[in-house]
Amino acid sequence: MRGLPWVLGAIAAAVAPHVAFLPAWIALLIVAAVAWRWTADRRAWPLPPRWLRVLVAITATLAVLGTYRTLNGIEAGTAFLVLLAGVKLLETRGSRDLTVIVFIAYFLLYAALLRDQRLPQLPYLLAGGVFSTAALIRVHAGAAGDSARDVLVRSGALLLQALPLAVLLFVLFPRLPGPFWGITAGESARTGLGDEMTPGDISDLSVSGEVAFRVRFSGEMPPPAQRYWRGPVLHEFDGRSWRRPRAQAFPSQPVTYLGEPVEYQITLEPTDRPWILALDIPAEWPEREAFRTYDFQLVAPRPLSEVSSFRLRSYPRFLAGVELPKSLRRKGLQLPEEGNPRSRALAGELAARHGDPQAIAQAMLQMFREQPFVYTLDPPKLAEDAMDEFLFETRRGFCEHYASAFTLVMRAAGVPARVVTGYQGGDFNPMGGYLIVRQSDAHAWSEIWIEGRGWVRVDPTAAVAPERIERGLIGAMGEFEPVPGRLRDASRLWMQVTLGWDTLNDFWNERVVRFNAARQLDLLERLGIDDPDWRTLGLAMAASLAAFFVALSTYLAWRFRPPARDWPARLHDVVRRRLVRRGLHPRESEGPVAFLERAATECPDLAADLAEIRDVYVDLRYGPLPTDTDLRRLKHLVNRLRP
Amino acid sequence: MASPLRRLRAALEARTQAWIRRRQGIDPEPLRLHRGRIYILPTPLGLAYATMVFAMVLGALNYGNNLGLGLAFLLASLGLVTMHHCHGTLSGLEIRLTGTESAFAGRDVAFHLLLVNHSLAPRPRIELNVARQPLAVTDVPAAGSASATLALRAQRRGRVPLARYEVATRHPLGLFRAWAVVHGEHAAIAWPAPAERDRIPPGVETDTGGAQDFARGDHDFAGLKPYQAGDSLHHVAWKAFARGQGLHTKQYAGTDVVSHVFDWDGLPGLGTELRLAQLCRWVLDAHERGEAFGLRLPGVAIEPNLGTAHRDRCLDALALFVEGQSRA
Repeated sequence: MRGLPWVLGAIAAAVAPHVAFLPAWIALLIVAAVAWRWTADRRAWPLPPRWLRVLVAITATLAVLGTYRTLNGIEAGTAFLVLLAGVKLLETRGSRDLTVIVFIAYFLLYAALLRDQRLPQLPYLLAGGVFSTAALIRVHAGAAGDSARDVLVRSGALLLQALPLAVLLFVLFPRLPGPFWGITAGESARTGLGDEMTPGDISDLSVSGEVAFRVRFSGEMPPPAQRYWRGPVLHEFDGRSWRRPRAQAFPSQPVTYLGEPVEYQITLEPTDRPWILALDIPAEWPEREAFRTYDFQLVAPRPLSEVSSFRLRSYPRFLAGVELPKSLRRKGLQLPEEGNPRSRALAGELAARHGDPQAIAQAMLQMFREQPFVYTLDPPKLAEDAMDEFLFETRRGFCEHYASAFTLVMRAAGVPARVVTGYQGGDFNPMGGYLIVRQSDAHAWSEIWIEGRGWVRVDPTAAVAPERIERGLIGAMGEFEPVPGRLRDASRLWMQVTLGWDTLNDFWNERVVRFNAARQLDLLERLGIDDPDWRTLGLAMAASLAAFFVALSTYLAWRFRPPARDWPARLHDVVRRRLVRRGLHPRESEGPVAFLERAATECPDLAADLAEIRDVYVDLRYGPLPTDTDLRRLKHLVNRLRP
Repeated sequence: MASPLRRLRAALEARTQAWIRRRQGIDPEPLRLHRGRIYILPTPLGLAYATMVFAMVLGALNYGNNLGLGLAFLLASLGLVTMHHCHGTLSGLEIRLTGTESAFAGRDVAFHLLLVNHSLAPRPRIELNVARQPLAVTDVPAAGSASATLALRAQRRGRVPLARYEVATRHPLGLFRAWAVVHGEHAAIAWPAPAERDRIPPGVETDTGGAQDFARGDHDFAGLKPYQAGDSLHHVAWKAFARGQGLHTKQYAGTDVVSHVFDWDGLPGLGTELRLAQLCRWVLDAHERGEAFGLRLPGVAIEPNLGTAHRDRCLDALALFVEGQSRA
C-alpha cells in the first residue's frame, strides 16, 4: 500500500518516547501491531475481519479504563491513543486510514511535549514533525515513486514555510490564565529529592549530573558556605530511614531576619514534586504560588511538572523558631523504641559529660573530624543497626550518613534535632550569569534546637570534608570516586561546551518554556507597541496573518513561474512592443520574421535596422553556431531602435 | 433522517452548479484555469486535522505548555501553507481536448484531454471528475504535459456530451481540495449497439450490375497482371512466384467493385432502433470482411466505399439519425 512503511515509521517514532511510561502490555501490543501490519503488507496477508477488529477495539478500551480508571489526562490519554493507533493499523485499507494514523502520530508527538518540554525535546519534535509530514505527503503523493530523500526534503520545505507564521502565532496568541479543567498529576519517576531519606539515597542522586535548578541573583551572590538550598525537612526516624511527616498541622513558627537579604530568581526543572528549593531561609515569595511550612520549607500548592520559576528573597542569617511548641519538641526528640544501642550509649555519655546542646554537637563534630571517618560516594551497605555500624565500624559514608548519625545522637542526648535535605553549593555559569545547581549538589544536613537561638543548622559533612562545602563534590572526593562532571573539571574546553549548552537550556527555559502573558506584553512593548492589550494582540495577529499570506502567495507565484524565455525571443518582444507603440500590430498568423519584414516595408525609415535585426535574429535562432557576439549585436541593435 | 439531509445537500449542490454555470459560461478551448475560477474547501480529513489542532491548542493552553502550543501552531500554519499549495497546483493549468473516441451504446466513449503545465513547478495528483466520479488521476510534470482519458458510459446512441467536468487536486497533504468546474460543448458519438447476426444482409451489387447473391466475384479468374505495391497479398499468384515467374496478382472479374448498399427501406416491419441496430451489424460485418458498402437512410445516402473512416462515417450517420428529419 502506498506510503504504509512511512506511516509505520512515523507512528513508531511517535510512540518511542512514550514507551517508558506505558504499561508493558500496551507497548508490546503496538510493537506487535506495527510488525504485523508491515509483514501483512509484504506478504499480502488478509486483514482481520470486522468483528475481530471491533472486539479488539472494545477490549483495548476496557483494558485502558481498567488500568487507569479514566481516559482523561496525559498518561491514560497517551495509552488510549497508542492503542487506537494499533487498532487502526488492523484496518488500514485506504489513504484515509493511513492519514488518521499520521494524525495520531502528530498527537503523540504533542503528548510527549506535554510530558516534557525541555530543550532536548526540540530535535525530537522537529524530526517527528518532518517524518510524520513526510508520511502524509507519501500517502497523498502521485503513483510515481519519489525517493525517500525527495519526500523528506519536501516535508522539511513545507514545515519551513509554516514556521514563520507558527512563530508569530506563538508570540502573539493571547495567553489565557489556565487551567480551564482539572489536571491529573502524572505519576512518574523523575530524579530529585523525595520525602524520605535512607542512607544511600542522596549518594545515588549525586551520581547524576542533571540540572536541578538555576538561580539568577539580583545582587551579590552569597558565598558557597551560605548556599544551602532548603528541601524537605525530615522528622520521623525508624532506625534507618528519615521521613517527612504526612500530617503538616503544626503552628507556623516566627522568624526574625538578620543582616542583608538575598534576592534571586530560581528556575526549577520539573520534578513532579512541590518542593521549591529556596535559599535558607526564605523570607518572601509570590503569595499564591507558594507557602512556607512550619519547618521553613517553601512548597508549591501543586507538584511542579513543568519548568517553574519564582522570584524569592531569603536571609542567610536568621533566628527561627525560638519558641518550641510541645508538639514540635516531641517530634524533634522522637526515636524508635530500640535499635542502634551503641549510638544511644554514646549520646548518653556525651550528654552526661557536656550537658549543653552546643557542646554536645561540638563533641560529635570533633569526633567526625578526629577519628578516621571517610567521606565517600560509595559507602558500604549497612545492615540491621545501620547507624551503629556506620559510627563504630565502617566509618565510610556520604552526607546522609553523617546527618543521620548526628541527628540520631543529638536526639538520644535529649536535644531536639531533625534532618534537612536539599542542595548545597552550585556552579556559576559566567556565560549566562547564573548559578547552576545539579543533582550532584544534593545534600543532607542537620538542625538542632537551642534555647534562645531556635533551630540552628549543623552540617556534619563540613567537619569530615570541609572542601565539600567550599568546592563542591569534586573537590571533596577522592580521584576514583564516580563524581559527575569530573571531565568538566579537568578540561577547560569541555567546561566551556557544557556551560554553553547549559546557557542554551536556560535560554530555552526562560524564553520559550516560560513564555507567558507578562513576557508577551513585555516583548510587545519592547517592539514599540505602547500599552498592548488583547485588542492590539488581535490586530497584530491579523496583520501578521495577512503579511504571511502575501509572502506565501509571492513565493508560490515564483515557484510556479513560467520557464525563462531565451534572449532572442525577449529581444524580439522588445522590438514588437516598440513597433506596436508606433501603431504596427502583429497579426495572428505572423511569425517574428514575417512581422519584421512587413514592418520594414511599412516603416521605410527603420527598414535598414529592421532588416539587420531580422538577419541577426535568424542567425541566432537557426544559425549553425550562435555566439555571444551575435547576441550582443542583437541587443545593441534593439536598443538603438527608436521608432 | 439521512434522506431529507441528502435532498437538501443535492438541492444545494444543484443551485451551486447552476450559479457556477451562470458565472463562467461555456469555456473556450484550450482553457487556462485562472485563480478566479478555482474553488477550495477543506476535505473531511482536513476538518479532522483542524479539530485535532484546535484540541491541541486548548490542551496546551490548559496545561500552560508552550512547546505543545508551538507544535499546535506549527501544524495550524502547515495546514494554511498546504491550502496555498493546493490552490497553486491548479492555478494556471491549461486543459485541451485533443479528441474523442466513439463507442457502441452500452460501452464507454472516451474524451482525451491534455493537461499542459506552463510553470516550472510540477502539478501532481490532478483528478478529473465527472458527476463526482473520479475518472482519471494524473501527474503533470514541470513545464510539460500529461494526457488523461475520461471514459463515459454511453447509455444510448447519439451524442454523449461532456457538458461539465471538474479538475481537482488534493495535493500535497490531502487536507484541502481545490477544484475548477469546466463547461464544454464537446460530445463524443455513441453508435447504436449492433444487432445479433441473425438476418442475412441484402445482396451484392457489382459494377456489372445485378445481384449476385452472396457469391463473391473471386471465383471468376480473369488472368495475371504484374504485382504492384498495394495489391492484396491474398491475390498474389504464389504458385507462379514459386515457379520463378516473378510476383503477379491474380485478376478477377469484378473483384474491386463488390459492394453492398444497406438500406433503411430494406428492413420493413422493424422499429427505428432495431433497424439501426441491424444496419450497424451489417456495416460492421461488411467492414470486417473488407467489402465495400454503402448506406441509405431516409435523408442520408452514403455511396459505397471502403476503409475505417468510411465505416465510422456510416456508424456516425446511424448514431445521429433522427427519424422524420430529412436532409436536403
